[in-house]
Amino acid sequence: MKKTHIPKLDDFLGGGIPPGSSVLFYADPGVECEAFGYQTLQGRLEDGDHGFIFTNVTEPSSIIYEFEKFGWDLRNSVDNGMAFFVDGSSYFIGAPVTGKYGIEDYSEIEEVVLKAIADVPDGLGVINNLSTLIDYMDDEETIRIINKWNQVAKEQDTILLYIFTEWDYEEELIDKIKNSMDCLINLNTIEERVIIGQGFMVTGASWVTPSENMVLFNILRPGGVKIFIPKILVTGPFNAGKSSFVKNITTDSVSVDRMAMGQVPTTIAMDIGHMEYKGFTADVFGTPGQERFDLILDVLSKEAVGAFILVDSTSPKTFPRAKEMMKKCKAEAIPRVIVANKQDLPDSLSPEEIRKVMNIDQSIPIIPVSLVRNEGIEDALDALLEILYR
Amino acid sequence: MSSESGISGLDELFSSAGLMDGFPENTTTLIYGPPKVGKSIFCYQFAYHGLSIKEPCLYVTADEGMKQLQQNMIDFGWFLQNFMDEELLYVIDSISSLSGVSIENTSTYNLSKINDPTDLMVKIGLGTRFVFKKSNEFRAVLDSLTTLFAFNPEPMVIRFLKTYLRRLKEAGATVIVTYTEGVTDESTEKTLKSIVDNVIMLDGNYMTFKSNLGFIGTAEYEITDQGLILGKGEIL
Amino acid sequence: MIVRIASGITGFDNLTMAGGEIGLGLGGLPENTVTLIYGPPEVGKSYFCHGFAYYGLTQDEPCLYLTTDLGINEISENFKEMELVLDEYLENKMLYVVDTSDNGESTTYDWYQSASVRNPTDILVKVTSGARSISQKNPRLRGVIDSLTTILESNNEMLIVRVLKTYILRLKEAGGTAVITYTEGSSDPRTEILIKSMADNIIKLNGEKITIEAMKGMGRREATYQITGKGIIIDGNDD
Repeated sequence: MKKTHIPKLDDFLGGGIPPGSSVLFYADPGVECEAFGYQTLQGRLEDGDHGFIFTNVTEPSSIIYEFEKFGWDLRNSVDNGMAFFVDGSSYFIGAPVTGKYGIEDYSEIEEVVLKAIADVPDGLGVINNLSTLIDYMDDEETIRIINKWNQVAKEQDTILLYIFTEWDYEEELIDKIKNSMDCLINLNTIEERVIIGQGFMVTGASWVTPSENMVLFNILRPGGVKIFIPKILVTGPFNAGKSSFVKNITTDSVSVDRMAMGQVPTTIAMDIGHMEYKGFTADVFGTPGQERFDLILDVLSKEAVGAFILVDSTSPKTFPRAKEMMKKCKAEAIPRVIVANKQDLPDSLSPEEIRKVMNIDQSIPIIPVSLVRNEGIEDALDALLEILYR
Repeated sequence: MSSESGISGLDELFSSAGLMDGFPENTTTLIYGPPKVGKSIFCYQFAYHGLSIKEPCLYVTADEGMKQLQQNMIDFGWFLQNFMDEELLYVIDSISSLSGVSIENTSTYNLSKINDPTDLMVKIGLGTRFVFKKSNEFRAVLDSLTTLFAFNPEPMVIRFLKTYLRRLKEAGATVIVTYTEGVTDESTEKTLKSIVDNVIMLDGNYMTFKSNLGFIGTAEYEITDQGLILGKGEIL
Repeated sequence: MIVRIASGITGFDNLTMAGGEIGLGLGGLPENTVTLIYGPPEVGKSYFCHGFAYYGLTQDEPCLYLTTDLGINEISENFKEMELVLDEYLENKMLYVVDTSDNGESTTYDWYQSASVRNPTDILVKVTSGARSISQKNPRLRGVIDSLTTILESNNEMLIVRVLKTYILRLKEAGGTAVITYTEGSSDPRTEILIKSMADNIIKLNGEKITIEAMKGMGRREATYQITGKGIIIDGNDD
């Protein structure tokens, strides 16, 4: 097994990638997908393997510069013969071709990349970017070439990593591309009107049953792909049940008192815990409900990827406050779910009644929950995950 | 919902129709026409006016680098630097990397590459989030598709544009995109016009606005040192 | 306000004078822009380039000259009629010539480089290095490409469009003001529109009339002109 050196990914793949495998990193437009290919290549080079990058999106010199920003010395690997480029970019913008191989016409791609694969037996090739190839060739030709590369790579024990930006291609084409690979890794965006995060998930591997975990990540320079444990906020007016909710969805929650350093130092209590649910990992923060802590909410909501807003279904007079707290989350564009707690009490309003009274848009789920009866909590978690994963 | 375009006479044209009182907000508009008829000037004016009324702007410059963009706007007496310092203006420069000089990114200036739509979309994602946090109502300019078409296959540019328009519209932006008529296939041009809400045609003498709601207005215009100025228009 | 530099073409600066502001606005080509000169063959496009380059040199403004049809000797001859010795400027590092014509002479000047017209990458490398050499010591320069048509004819047109874009960016970055000639109808109509869209100013010559179709800061202008032994002479303003 060859390690990808992407945190968590090797665990999901049962230790790494078998030699000769083809791996597709397919990304929503907007995800920084190149880093996955580059980081794996860097790791393989450090482990002593040979490798190459085929590029048709930027000249080799800028890729070396990109590596530098990640803190990796690709120039050295190129100079000592461990790595080389197939330069499919420079010629087309009139820049001097600088790789070991250059491409001056798209009809040469198939053969040139085959040569490159043959040069790195038991090594690794990164194809960046498959999507930029498709519109230069036709769909059938693209599929044929990929299959050929994968077949030769298999014979040579060369791993091929494809970087693929999933623009609006025909579904049939995407299926065919996926079917020609040994392993599929989805890189997706988390959006709430704007992109607020990115995650990866193994969606297929021929040698192992992948876990369905989605891991959120950031791309750091220097550093590369780093796992990022997102924050989930639990907020709402006083006495809506925030603390119990946090305790219920996390494994190890603690209440912490800390000094808030403002003009007037006050003690605030926050519930903090760690949540793992259906492969999704997050740190959960239960925030104080009183207005004087709005600043905390501001700070926390900047780092959060999702929020539960708890309301006391029996207390409409607290709804305006709940709405105000929602607005703070909205400003930061985080996905949010309203937890209509205390549904066990006789005078509680139904979710639809709450939607009407609070005038909440249909796009925001309102989930009926009774914390005392332990009902509806998973529904609330599912509702948030659905927004995050869609 | 509508906002002031900043184009002298255009908002009046809209209000004279009685349907809206200005440029239609949170829509996408393609501005097209032959070379040198004022498409970029429309963009400068639209962005600058928004900034001057504190509406943030995400500006993708694909034909001219940042320095030229600033210079071109200074010719009209419009200065950008303050708006960048105030973080109201976020510029994505997808062309300067070809000029061979090394330029550094700042918090409101991000370089990309004209022949790498994947990277461009990453930068647009970051920029959109940045601008969106300043205000949920903002302007987005992409000037222009013309150079993108010279550096990428036509279907690729259309794929990119569709994603761009969807993302920006979802974020609440009022989007304008320019295109030089006649540089692509007929079918590509047809697609371009069909994936936006409105089109504005500039031919050097007349500006014609068509919205997907069936509104068509036209007016004579002139390029002056104050930007584009429309004469009295009519609703068709 | 738009700064203009003297074109070196007799009558052109009058033609481009800001209307109604005689004495205030000087005419000429807008500084740090690119002007496309186009029209049918043999209407004086090269003469425009010669006049433009020549005048700059007499004002101590260096020039980066890409010639594709006329060899250095022919240009030299032409310059002599304007009483200017080209070699001196090559030697003094005021004129940088990239010559892709087959008439290239082997000269020993550092600032004379020949390249194959079929190798746009090499042309771009040499032009870029010329722009860099000049801009190290000078804040401004004049650039000439005469003519784009020859390069387009020998290569993939879209590749040349991209190379041209890069040239324009680099020249402007170096503080340059450029003139580029192109023979109307010599490439695909789409390519022609792309080229026009990349230029800041567009001037058409048809053998009788010069038409400024587009120019930064002004509207359309037109005048008649003649070609003489001393270059293009534009007649008094028709307006």
